[in-house]
Amino acid sequence: MSIRLLALIPVAVAINLALSAAVDATGLPLFLDTVGTILASALAGPVVGIGTGALTSLTNSLRNPTFLPFVAVQVIVALYAWGAARAGLFRNLRAAVPTGLGLGVIASATSTPISYHMFGCSTTGGIALATALGKSLGFSPLGACFFGSFVSDFGDKAVSFALVATVLHALPRRTAARFPLALRAIGLRGIG
Amino acid sequence: MRRLHPFTLLALAAALPLLAWILPAPRGALAPALAAATLAAAAGPRRVLLPALLTAAPLWFFLFILHGVGGMLVFGVRLTAMIASFVWLVAVLPPARLVEAMVAAGWGAPSAYLFAATLSAVPLLQQRARRIVEAQRCRGLSPRGSPLARLRALRALALPLVLSALHEVDERALALETRGLGAGHRRTPLAPPPDSALQQAARLALLLACGLALAWRLR
Repeated sequence: MSIRLLALIPVAVAINLALSAAVDATGLPLFLDTVGTILASALAGPVVGIGTGALTSLTNSLRNPTFLPFVAVQVIVALYAWGAARAGLFRNLRAAVPTGLGLGVIASATSTPISYHMFGCSTTGGIALATALGKSLGFSPLGACFFGSFVSDFGDKAVSFALVATVLHALPRRTAARFPLALRAIGLRGIG
Repeated sequence: MRRLHPFTLLALAAALPLLAWILPAPRGALAPALAAATLAAAAGPRRVLLPALLTAAPLWFFLFILHGVGGMLVFGVRLTAMIASFVWLVAVLPPARLVEAMVAAGWGAPSAYLFAATLSAVPLLQQRARRIVEAQRCRGLSPRGSPLARLRALRALALPLVLSALHEVDERALALETRGLGAGHRRTPLAPPPDSALQQAARLALLLACGLALAWRLR
């Protein structure tokens, strides 16, 4: 791994963990804790993305250890974003947003068994409340858990993908060209 | 406890939650949870145990809402073991000491860099995020209103943060190259934490205890 890609990982982890300040200011029900992982994968491929995701879970777990088992979700996000970048799906918002919605479904399906078996679906307040809502709607315990994860992940991943697409397009071409996948992700190089 | 080798502290913080999850809850998991709470109390009742309990308390509340008393006890005891162990670990293990131990154990300098750089980059970027929020508000950005208006405000807040962070990558890469952080360069730790045969045996015993508990549960 080149030194530049190595230097990208801590920066991408910090992006994952610092965006909560912007989210808090707007009061939107989002986490945006995978933006750095998606960005790292879209710029530099799966190894950097997975490294970013794993390190994010580890760093987050120093604050709240319940984040640690969800490292699997970060790995899935990194692999999915890498595939999306290779297919040029960050070329515009019309392609990026549906791709993010797809990730929302996959991420909820991945996080549901972890949340259900390890934490009884009580990881964070918002998800626990959505799970309680699902339970009151008559879902089975596992179904309610998936409902809670889905409600929180679906919009979050779409906004995350849209934000990464915006960042990739806002990057100066010279800066983007220094990363192996950046131009391909926004559809400026041959796909295949 | 602070004098123990970082790997011993890590082994202890990993073994207690693992045992709490492997052993039948709530009774079997109670001993590891109590051990973790005792370690946290010994490190500082106010500084360590209290934050751990405050982190666990909302989870107990949600568990009660979702599963009633029985489910709350099963998951709650395990979660408390996990939270108390990690909060204790963060309190007694300075990251720089862990990095020294990793380098002394033969881990590559890049791995040590990743860990140390992440811990220092996160608070810096969080501070910058707060400054950007304040600066954009001074310029008249209103982060309230309809969801679409809030999303537009989010873009105005997040974009400068992410772009400025990405521009930093080149500076960091240059600094790392200047310091010779490439593959194949072995670093010498300045103050490697002392390790002993007793601590190595204790780490092995913790690993064995987890393995035996798992084998007992799976039989």
